[in-house]
Amino acid sequence: MAGIADFLDSLIGGFALICFAFAIGSLFWGLFVLRPWQREAAYSAQLLERTVKLMYTGGFALAAAQLFKIILKVWLMTAVLDKWPFPEFAETTQFIGGIIRTMLTLVLATYCYVVLSKNPYSKQYWQTAGLIAVPMIISGAWLVHAAGRFDNPYVLMALTVIHQLGAAAWIGGVFHLVNIWMMRSKQQIAADLWPLLLKRFSVFGMASVGVILLTGLPMALQYIDSWNGFIGTGYGNLLMVKIVLLGLALGLAWLNKSAVQDYFVTRNNHTLTYRLPYYIEAESFVLITLLFTAASLASQPPAIDIPNLTASWQEVLDMFTPRIPRTASPSHQALIAGEAGRVAIIGQVPSEAATAWSDYNHNIAGIFLTTMSFFAMLSYVKRLPSAFSGLERYVVYLTRYWPIGFVGLGIFLFFRSDAETWPLGPIGFWESTFNNGEVLQHRIATLLVFVLGLIELIARMPRNQNSRLPYFFPILAAFGGLMLLTHSHIGFQAKSAFLIQVGHTFMGVLSLILACGRWLELKLDKPGKDIAGFISVAALFQIGLILMFYREPLY
Amino acid sequence: MQAHIKISGLLSLVLLAGYQPVASAHAVVTDYSLKLAPIHAHQADKVSLNFNSKIELGLSQVFLVSKGDQLSPLEIARGDRQGQMTIAVPALPPGDYALKLKVFAADGHLTEDVIHFTVAP
Repeated sequence: MAGIADFLDSLIGGFALICFAFAIGSLFWGLFVLRPWQREAAYSAQLLERTVKLMYTGGFALAAAQLFKIILKVWLMTAVLDKWPFPEFAETTQFIGGIIRTMLTLVLATYCYVVLSKNPYSKQYWQTAGLIAVPMIISGAWLVHAAGRFDNPYVLMALTVIHQLGAAAWIGGVFHLVNIWMMRSKQQIAADLWPLLLKRFSVFGMASVGVILLTGLPMALQYIDSWNGFIGTGYGNLLMVKIVLLGLALGLAWLNKSAVQDYFVTRNNHTLTYRLPYYIEAESFVLITLLFTAASLASQPPAIDIPNLTASWQEVLDMFTPRIPRTASPSHQALIAGEAGRVAIIGQVPSEAATAWSDYNHNIAGIFLTTMSFFAMLSYVKRLPSAFSGLERYVVYLTRYWPIGFVGLGIFLFFRSDAETWPLGPIGFWESTFNNGEVLQHRIATLLVFVLGLIELIARMPRNQNSRLPYFFPILAAFGGLMLLTHSHIGFQAKSAFLIQVGHTFMGVLSLILACGRWLELKLDKPGKDIAGFISVAALFQIGLILMFYREPLY
Repeated sequence: MQAHIKISGLLSLVLLAGYQPVASAHAVVTDYSLKLAPIHAHQADKVSLNFNSKIELGLSQVFLVSKGDQLSPLEIARGDRQGQMTIAVPALPPGDYALKLKVFAADGHLTEDVIHFTVAP
């Protein structure tokens, strides 16, 4: 069960940051963007009610996440150390700090629920909520990466907390924009509030990003001391992903800002109504992933601490070098025969069969995805070259129903993912599924791939054109990307593990692009719709290429 | 089966499969005395490990791994410096050994690591 605990532990950090963004971001939104005491007549009671509700719901959820984090640590330690971790755990900073933060968060959430919700137009009550939030925010400093450092811990702790505040202000604000748009769509707020709040948030959002950059840069310089550390370690790699995601989010934010500026010049609200809300939704996807990546980054050893375990840029580049895919798998017997030596501590013997088995799995999966995405890209071509015009009838079917490949992929994964279990290995299906967290996760993943293929296939049937089924695909793809970015861990062979990780994190980013592109394709009008759709399947093609050329280090 | 686990995740693009349940590594060993002072056969000795982060000793464990991956728990104590751990290693016959560590860092991350060493005749 340690596998399940560790899996949940890797997710709970990102979830807690989302809750923090809701709670503290709502506070900033109320104090600096909405400022209800200035425009009592313009804001409906429903708007204020929803704003405060998001704040206390985020607060209660954060308290629950914080508590669950402690429970998970206890679970994980009991499983890994094979003993009950108390009373020792009760004396650690993590336990004491975690409990204090849970209590302080509960105080803030309760105040918002009981008091602020009754007086949402009062500046004094909003300011009091801000004061109550201060100790909760500060208490988080003892729970971050920097708390365990020897050099400049207090400076790093302070920078981390301010960095988190900047992120909460920006991301919480974006969540509120989504909320405002939903209320406007349902005509629960006045239509003119939409451009007004967008304009106010533009300035506030830029200031928040400024804070993120000003605090992030010195931390990066403190934890990474060379270009190689940036390129050749898990810490540097995830930081790079954060920078890429930040760039994507800022790109979408720039589109929003331009649309708002145009509106106030031309008073034409087409973009503001038919495009901008969907850019903001896509931005939310990116920002949520960014938060999970940030949580994952905190579990990595800083590059400055592991100069001997850092991969060179040539080794990193080699992971992406095109080569002939492996289309022949080693036998199952050869794989099993090499396992005892591979997992031994004393006298460990790297297993070529295990590496080849893995390469084959990745490469075949890559062939699946590149083929599927090729036909998906073809669907954006208006007319085939005349030499292929006779095939047009068949190509139409392939370009529409390419997600059937996911069904095949699901079946392939079912047979290949866990070679030691049924149907290939000696361990039974039910025994392996419920007694091993890893296998359980694989079974779920396999089922989901299969189901996703079916759902997307059904969604593309002419009779289902107007259903909500197509939205499953981008949501699940975003979730998949998030998973790939979240569980970057380092095992006993840190460098090999990093080289395996590096391709996976890039695929995580591409999965997110795939998700955002498809989401925008479903929501936007032309020509943005087609551009987003093509970018989406092109990202899938890139993922396919990375998988097709994948070579696992021998370990 | 690290590799197999990775595969499903990606392939699917869709989920979890890339997941590998190895405890996250934040507290890593930056230096250890075995590099400079090897253990001599049939002599009990102390090994010190330096970590990059503060560690919680009460929630950390070290095992001696001998031939056939036999594990025996070792006694650990706080070292002279912050982030340092001292391990009491019993008298050993010549051969290949390893120290298997399970360390709880002050920032709440549980790390597992292995350090190989040889006891020369």
